[in-house]
Amino acid sequence: MIHIDITMPRLFAEGTGALQLQVALAPGSLTAVVGPSGSGKTTLLRVLAGLETPPTGRIDSNGTSWFDTSQRINLSPQQRSIGYVFQDTALFPNMSVRENIQYAAPSGQRQLADELIDATGLNSFINKKPTVLSGGQRQRVALARALVRRPQLLLLDEPFAALDPAAAQTLRQVLLDLHRTWGTTTLLVSHHDIDVQALADRVIRLVQGQIQADYRTEVGSSATFPRERIRRIDFEETHHQWVIETETTELRSTNPAWGQLKIGDLIEISWTPKAL
Amino acid sequence: MPIDWEPIWLTLRLASITTLLLLIIGLPLAGWLALSRFRLKPVVEAIISLPLVLPPSVVGFYLLLAFSPTGGLGGWLLRTVNVQLVFSFEGLVVASLLYSLPFMIHPIQAGLENLPASWREASYTLGQSPTRTLWRVLLPNCKPALLTGIVLSFAHTIGEFGLVMMIGGNLPGQTRVASIAIYDEVELLHFETAHTYAALLLGLSFAILLLVYGINKRVTV
Repeated sequence: MIHIDITMPRLFAEGTGALQLQVALAPGSLTAVVGPSGSGKTTLLRVLAGLETPPTGRIDSNGTSWFDTSQRINLSPQQRSIGYVFQDTALFPNMSVRENIQYAAPSGQRQLADELIDATGLNSFINKKPTVLSGGQRQRVALARALVRRPQLLLLDEPFAALDPAAAQTLRQVLLDLHRTWGTTTLLVSHHDIDVQALADRVIRLVQGQIQADYRTEVGSSATFPRERIRRIDFEETHHQWVIETETTELRSTNPAWGQLKIGDLIEISWTPKAL
Repeated sequence: MPIDWEPIWLTLRLASITTLLLLIIGLPLAGWLALSRFRLKPVVEAIISLPLVLPPSVVGFYLLLAFSPTGGLGGWLLRTVNVQLVFSFEGLVVASLLYSLPFMIHPIQAGLENLPASWREASYTLGQSPTRTLWRVLLPNCKPALLTGIVLSFAHTIGEFGLVMMIGGNLPGQTRVASIAIYDEVELLHFETAHTYAALLLGLSFAILLLVYGINKRVTV
């Protein structure tokens, strides 16, 4: 369980105020933080990562105090068990995809980096520099890199913001598969309802630094996903995964239930295809 | 009159050693200045930048006092390690290091400060120390700034005159670098020899700059 209790004066679009939060994140949960621009969403992620320091507050993760002003505890970002996917990906241009991921891998755990490269479908690009990758590919590299240290808390800052619908859908699928496999407690900042509906089991709405709403959702329960017919369905032996192609989207998963779908089936383009 | 190549070699030796040492000192120092939030950082930056605004004779005068065998630092060095910095090549190297330091520091510091903050922050959130972040992420991504620092330091050391005159004097093989030799030859009305030295320095400097900017253009991360 991750407990957050912070107060931080901040300048909002409507004037000065304070980012004020008291939240507990359940282990393995995926919480979406939504709200208008400038409401403090990114600041919250930066405070959790230790990149910004509030004047008062407390953050602890599974009994370990990361930040506590009353006890003068303030662990550096290096000492907190976090993975952070920045909005601009912050991939290192001097390193290849593999080097970016392995850069953070603990010594002797290179195998984990390879697993993540497989899981994020990056095998074809491992020796390429990030500058030649598409936005969606870069976000997948950033995601794999953020997870390579097996963090207790994964922070995602608008990872879908600059992606086209197909790339966003692929990334959502990758993110959801990884979340199910690894169960990392995740905080996702997003502006898009489709991301929230497809991924989050809880939504926190921030307005001017205050929690305006905090509610639980059922992942994938929304009926607002687009519906499309399957144009191609293949099983990739190399990655042991199913690949479904529709008019706008390519979906990948190792879920064996996908094998029951066939060309022409109408499916929802959500986190898992559901025949209609 | 046959040309004496010694001042040219001495100049190149001085510039090469100074640049190499400045690189070793300058990289961590520029990294610290770019990344640190130390409250007295402006004081350190002002001290490093002093040679940019002070006349070389002023820097040379104070260094002469400090390096003198009767002075504090000079006397201590002479007694403990038997090194005399005044009127010696070693003294020229130390003086050049201090005098050319801002030319190495400023471009690298500016290059590092211009990189996206998210690269450094990403490295920190990946558990990497500021030192490893500097060496593995930041410096490899500001190669043009590094190259600029190297070129400016080298070129500035080649062109030193006032400081060398104050600290080193005019000892052949020891402190008689090309700029001093040119001055010396003009004083003796040996314009042909002075012209040869000057033309050599001009050609050499241009060739180095051309080479470096040519390389710089092709440097990609």
